[in-house]
Amino acid sequence: MNTVAQKNELIFGYSSGNLTEAKSLFVSMYLYLNSVAAKKASIFDNILADNLANLDEVAPKKINYKDCINSTYNQNLSFKITKNNNPLTNLIGSIDKLKWKSIYKGFREFNIPLKDSDTIKLIKMDPGISVPLHSHNGKEYILVIDGSFCDEYGEYKKGDMQINDQKIKHHPIASNKNGCICLSITERDVIFFGKLGSALNLFTFIKSFFK
Amino acid sequence: MVVLKFKINKIIMENERLIGLAIKISKNRDERAFSELFDFLAPKINAYYLKNNLGFEQSEELTQEVLSTIWAKADLFDPERSKFITWAYTIARNKKIDLYRKTKNKTAEDEDIRHFLYQNNEINDYEIELSINKIKKELDENQQKLLKMSFFEQKSHKKIAEELEIPLGTVKSRIRSTLNKMQKFLL
Repeated sequence: MNTVAQKNELIFGYSSGNLTEAKSLFVSMYLYLNSVAAKKASIFDNILADNLANLDEVAPKKINYKDCINSTYNQNLSFKITKNNNPLTNLIGSIDKLKWKSIYKGFREFNIPLKDSDTIKLIKMDPGISVPLHSHNGKEYILVIDGSFCDEYGEYKKGDMQINDQKIKHHPIASNKNGCICLSITERDVIFFGKLGSALNLFTFIKSFFK
Repeated sequence: MVVLKFKINKIIMENERLIGLAIKISKNRDERAFSELFDFLAPKINAYYLKNNLGFEQSEELTQEVLSTIWAKADLFDPERSKFITWAYTIARNKKIDLYRKTKNKTAEDEDIRHFLYQNNEINDYEIELSINKIKKELDENQQKLLKMSFFEQKSHKKIAEELEIPLGTVKSRIRSTLNKMQKFLL
C-alpha cells in the first residue's frame, strides 16, 4: 500500500474538482490544517491551469465579450471568497456546541449532513480511549482535527491523515492528554475483531437498517 | 533545457500581459481590455468544458458565466499571490462543480456550500514555481498526458485504457507511479 500516492491522488482529485461533497469537505479541511498538503494542492492547481493554457482552442460561436459584461447586470453573482476560514466550522458551526451521539463510553460521533453516498462524520475520543482491533471493508479516511491518536503504524497529530483499507488491521488509542477529535469518511462499514468484535459487528449491522 | 527556458519565459510574459489586462478591468472597467482577455481565454475555457464531455451549448453557457465572473470580480484577483491563468482555472473548475451539483441535486439550497468545500488556500503561486518547473522537467510526455487525461479532462481509468489501448491495471499503476515520482518535488 502506498499512502503517499493515495493522498496525492485525493488532493489532485480536489484540484480537478472531481470529488464528491464529503471528500471535498474532507480535503478542504486537510488543506486548512496541513500546510504541506495546501502547497501540494496549489502545485496541482497550477499544473492543471497549465493544461488550460496549452489546450487546443475551440472558439465559442454564440457568445461574445459584450454578452458577458451585460449578463453580470441581471445575474446574481454571490461569489463570496472566504479566506482562511475553517471550512468545517463554516458548515456546521462550533465543534464545542455539537450534539454528539454516544456510541460507547468515551467514544462519540457526529454525522455531518451532506448529500453523499460516502459517510462523513466527526469522531470524538476521550483521553486514553481505544477502538477495538478492526479492519475495513471499503476505504476509511481519518483526519485528526484536534488532539492525537496512535496505533500500530505510528502517532497521528492535528492535520495528519490516515488512509485505511482492507489490508490494514489497527487498534487506535486516543492520546492520554487531550483525547482526539477526527474527521472520518468511510466508504463502507468497518469489520471488528477480538472479544468485543462480534457484538460491534452486530451493532453496525443493525445500525445499517436505521440509516 | 533551452526549450524549457524558452517556454518558461513565454509563460512569464503571458502572465504579465494577463495581469495588466485584469488590472485595467478592475480599476478602469476597461471594456477593450476585457475584450482582449475574452479572445484569449474564452476559446480555452470552452475547450476545457468540451474536453470534460459537456455539450456545445452547455460549454458556451458556462464559458460565459466564467467570463462574466471575471468581469464582475476582477478586483478579487491578487496578482501578488496567484498567476492569472490559475485563478481563471479555479473559477472554471468551480463552475463545473456547481453544474454537477445542480444536476445531481435539483433541490440544492441557494446557499452554495461550494464556498466551504473549495476554498482558496493561502499558498503563493510564485513560491511554488520552482517545484512546478521541476515536475514539468521530470515527468515524461506520457506521464504528463496521463495526468492531463485523468485530472484535467476527468476521464475514467477505463476510458483512458480504451483510448490509449493499454490494460486498465496499467493505467492505474502508471498514474500511481507518476504521482509517486512527483512526490519528491511536492515538499
